[in-house]
Amino acid sequence: MSTLERLQHDFVAMLQGKNADFAQHIAQQKGLSCEQRSEIYQNAYQIRLKKVLEQDHEMLGLYLGDELFDSMVETYLSTYPSKSASLREFGERLPQLLREQSPFKEHGILSEMAQFERLLLHAFDAADGPVLELTDLQSIEQASWPNIILKLHDSVHLLTCQFSAVESWQALKNDSSPPAPELHTHRHWLIARAPDKRTGFYPISECHFQCLTSIKQGLPFGFVCEAAAGVAGDQQQGTIEVMQLLQQGIELGWFLKTSVT
Amino acid sequence: MKYSPPSFAGFGLGLRTCYFEEILTTEPNVDWFEIISENYFVSGGKPWHYLSQIKERYPIVMHGVSMSIGSTTEVNFDYLRKLKQTIERVQPLWISDHLCFSSLGDFNSHDLLPMPYTEESLDHLCKRLLIVQDFLERPLILENVSSYLTYQASEMSEWEFLTELHQRTQCQFLLDINNVYVSARNHQFDPSEFLNAMPTSSIAQIHLAGHSDFGTHIIDTHDQPICDEVWQLFADFAQTHPPVNTMIERDDNFPAFKELMSELEQARSLAPTSWRMNEYA
Repeated sequence: MSTLERLQHDFVAMLQGKNADFAQHIAQQKGLSCEQRSEIYQNAYQIRLKKVLEQDHEMLGLYLGDELFDSMVETYLSTYPSKSASLREFGERLPQLLREQSPFKEHGILSEMAQFERLLLHAFDAADGPVLELTDLQSIEQASWPNIILKLHDSVHLLTCQFSAVESWQALKNDSSPPAPELHTHRHWLIARAPDKRTGFYPISECHFQCLTSIKQGLPFGFVCEAAAGVAGDQQQGTIEVMQLLQQGIELGWFLKTSVT
Repeated sequence: MKYSPPSFAGFGLGLRTCYFEEILTTEPNVDWFEIISENYFVSGGKPWHYLSQIKERYPIVMHGVSMSIGSTTEVNFDYLRKLKQTIERVQPLWISDHLCFSSLGDFNSHDLLPMPYTEESLDHLCKRLLIVQDFLERPLILENVSSYLTYQASEMSEWEFLTELHQRTQCQFLLDINNVYVSARNHQFDPSEFLNAMPTSSIAQIHLAGHSDFGTHIIDTHDQPICDEVWQLFADFAQTHPPVNTMIERDDNFPAFKELMSELEQARSLAPTSWRMNEYA
């Protein structure tokens, strides 16, 4: 290992609290001690990354409170140090940490809330693309309908919650008390960026969730209708559900134009 | 390959999301805007929505924070590919990053960690700079970072190091005068000595920014107005140098846009008439 390699290795280890000997690389100067000088970098490293998680997971921070949030940040920094050049990706594994590590894993809502906030971030700067319009569908011949393949806009994400993660997020955002975390049954949500570039989230029914899952899997429209019929109980009701979904999705820019042409 | 230095383009501002709407609405008297390159590595959405409108009206400069050119581990070609794609999309006047290391292997500190000023570092940076510039097919301008420590291993001053790097590679620098001031205070040297020692031909751009003073040391926080001492250093520099692209940089504690414009006007007023865009043209 060269002198430069050794120095950089020791610097990085110091930042992660793994090398107390880094101070030996530092020249003595007036004012601060060598230890204080290395602490400036160590503190900056922790503060900068904590700030990223605070910004990206603002409502999770409110839900946890300062003490637990600080504990989560400390655990996250040591478990998943940043490997990406972009700070935007730093918190990608936070839902996983909250799902796997105590004391957080005992509260399933935490992982779900973190996942919801990640999806909001993903939707915010997902790739743009021309969205499907009603006139695009009107030009499709009736016989071709079963074989058309719809494609979701890159900003569209689906989330299924076992807990009241989204409702709690919303309550905190509105300065209200969050509801009880337990739900009687799971709930589906769609997160997407609207044509005006605002990121939104929408509750979706079991039927629409199954349809969107089929679309996401790249299945032809005929299969999407079958999925709807399976949930709705009969074909006619299923078709009505699919039409409602198409109408809402076209209004909110959930489908790409290229998907049917 | 030899690259031409960027021409004088005037006085710019750092483009930050909180000012997007105001810039589009008021079209302020700014000669160019500088973006943080990595903020546009994303595919779409609001960042690109606004940037594409702003770049129709103003020239854009790209400033990176994560290249880690001084790192001793392998060059991150994945990063360089994303940077090159972004360059192709933005078509900037020039690009810059920092003379430092920030990552090592797959660990990223997201900080600008100083290099030791040694022959070994010089050799290393010369090789890396060639690789990066060849890959990007354009020159890379390097910014001096602020520092809070000096290494036992250092064999020369920072300005001697930069001058030597310039002589060996003809690379140019983004001279952050606030960073010079911060390092000067933290390491007890005269900032004028640094600025006067830099070869004129090596300076492509200037950053002016604020810092936080903690008494025993100061930290380059970019969240305060530019202090009087930094203004004075800039004024002295401007009076003795040909025009250099100059920018006001603010990264936190964002003030009303008119306050940044006021700092931009102050920079313009401190520079001699030869630095004004219309005079230069």
